[in-house]
Amino acid sequence: MTAERKAENITAVRMVINWLGLGLFAFLGVAAVVPLFLIIGDVYIKGVDAINRLGGLWHFLTGLPPTPFDESGGIGPMLVGTLYMTALGALLGIAVGFPLGVYIGEMRKEKFANVARAGVNVLVEFPTIVVGLFVYAVMSLAKEDINRYLLGPLSNAISPVGGWITQFIGPLDGFNAYAGAAALSIIMIPYVALITASAYASIEQPLREAAYATAGREFNALFVVLRKAVSRAVLTAALLGTAKIAGETAPLLFTAFGNFYYAPFTGPTGAVPLWVWYAAQTPYEVQIASAYGAAAVLLTIILTIFIIARIRG
Amino acid sequence: MLGFLLVVLLIPYLIAAYGLLFVKLRWGLRLFGAFIVATIGLLTAMFLVEAYPIIARDGVAVFLQTRWDPVRETYGVLQALAGTVLTSAVAMALAMPMALGVAVTINEILPTRWRGLFGSLVDLTATMPTVIYGLWGLFVLGPTLQSLINTLARDTMTSPYTLFTAGVLLAIMITPYAAAVIREGYALVPKPVEEAIYAVGATRFEAALIKLRYVRNYIFGGFFLALGRAMGETVAVAMVVGGNFVRFTTNIFESGITISSLIALQFPNAASYQYMVPALFAGALLLTLFGLAINAVAIYIIQRGQI
Repeated sequence: MTAERKAENITAVRMVINWLGLGLFAFLGVAAVVPLFLIIGDVYIKGVDAINRLGGLWHFLTGLPPTPFDESGGIGPMLVGTLYMTALGALLGIAVGFPLGVYIGEMRKEKFANVARAGVNVLVEFPTIVVGLFVYAVMSLAKEDINRYLLGPLSNAISPVGGWITQFIGPLDGFNAYAGAAALSIIMIPYVALITASAYASIEQPLREAAYATAGREFNALFVVLRKAVSRAVLTAALLGTAKIAGETAPLLFTAFGNFYYAPFTGPTGAVPLWVWYAAQTPYEVQIASAYGAAAVLLTIILTIFIIARIRG
Repeated sequence: MLGFLLVVLLIPYLIAAYGLLFVKLRWGLRLFGAFIVATIGLLTAMFLVEAYPIIARDGVAVFLQTRWDPVRETYGVLQALAGTVLTSAVAMALAMPMALGVAVTINEILPTRWRGLFGSLVDLTATMPTVIYGLWGLFVLGPTLQSLINTLARDTMTSPYTLFTAGVLLAIMITPYAAAVIREGYALVPKPVEEAIYAVGATRFEAALIKLRYVRNYIFGGFFLALGRAMGETVAVAMVVGGNFVRFTTNIFESGITISSLIALQFPNAASYQYMVPALFAGALLLTLFGLAINAVAIYIIQRGQI
């Protein structure tokens, strides 16, 4: 056996190991996304069937949820609650998250900005149920006084506007849509802030100098000129954050609580994820079917937002 | 009154912050920074206050005993703590290889035009609502795992809903979070280093291994971030973990409970008992402290090893 043959053998062994190793990595990587297709397939196959069985799409989107003895039903109240709370939570999340992101992205030399950045990093990873419990604790502490001193007089003052306003403003129950929206916004704020921050941090220095030179005030430089440079990333952050909070369940458990009927937002409010969570664990076939239908609707909402974000971003 | 002031003052605070943005930009921005720091401080303080009754009564015993008996007002969260540790361990053991696989697949194996699509799929895995994972775990994954495990070893898994089911489901859910951090590091390997690796005649697999060693800080960071997610995940786990908060178990093929699912499952009827709400807040406090510690470690590791 010559030295040359030996070297050739080693090369052959290395090639085999190379293919085996790359194959293993590829297998593991694909294994990470296969469940995604299984889940989407499972939800749509059973969900579409359930929606048809429970009375068609329109009835499913507007009707009341089925009791164990019903044969048809929908998720109307939950859909309204989810849309309302997600919209409020997303608005507040962007309104606070965007300036916060500018702060931790642009003022990196400030000591306090680094503290705030660490805070944002911690908050984005926080267990969502903890956020829900926090809002619940604040709510139970503040509810009575807010109703007595603020919302009671306020609802009397605005009562001439018409009865519809009591659906939105009035003395709060312990569980209400606004607590739910607050919990969702606390989850969304750090998400938006981090993406905004990394977008601002990646602006090239010459562009930043040009912005400061032409804009006059720092406010204009940061929020008018440079915003244009990062608007795409911020829009993506806002959309993905909205998709994320639309599907959150844990923070709503003790804040919005859930409701089976169309009801004022000042009291317990239903949400699609809460209905999936509740109905999937009941022993009744019709409610499990409606859970699958609700999951299909929820997934459609989230996939739509996700695809828009990917195409625009 | 304190809570009232807190909520009512929030509105003028935010208005003041926006106003200051126009007048004195930096102070306005600082107010937003202070808002987030105050939220975390307040959250921890709130849980301390709410958990105080049971800590004053039992001391640290509440974290060290395994009995959860509302009728006798005895509360221990040790079995939930054990469940959290076991499910997280199963999840991390499965998720880390998959996360490494995702990073290497995207950066080394796939042709350039497929990378974006594959990355989007991984991101979508992270965006999917957790309750849908729970639904799938409840009706598909749990029964499948049960029959699979029982074919391999008879009668190991008596119920489809066990700590093991929860761990497998968690692994699927947290892989994208670990993968995101590793991918970020992997893409930052300097071009000269990469060229040097190939210049000495490394195969692509060897190059991948060397690069993974090069970004090991990101791998550790991703590990801890994913661990934080696994420990805090609530709804999906609560649906498949079995909800056994009575009996202490360290067998992963039995039904168990985790801290977060204990809170989710027990809180609705907690108000009927004197000490259950404080006990659950003690659990939440534990989760918060874990979250803070794990994130601190993860952030430290990633920042120390920034390439």
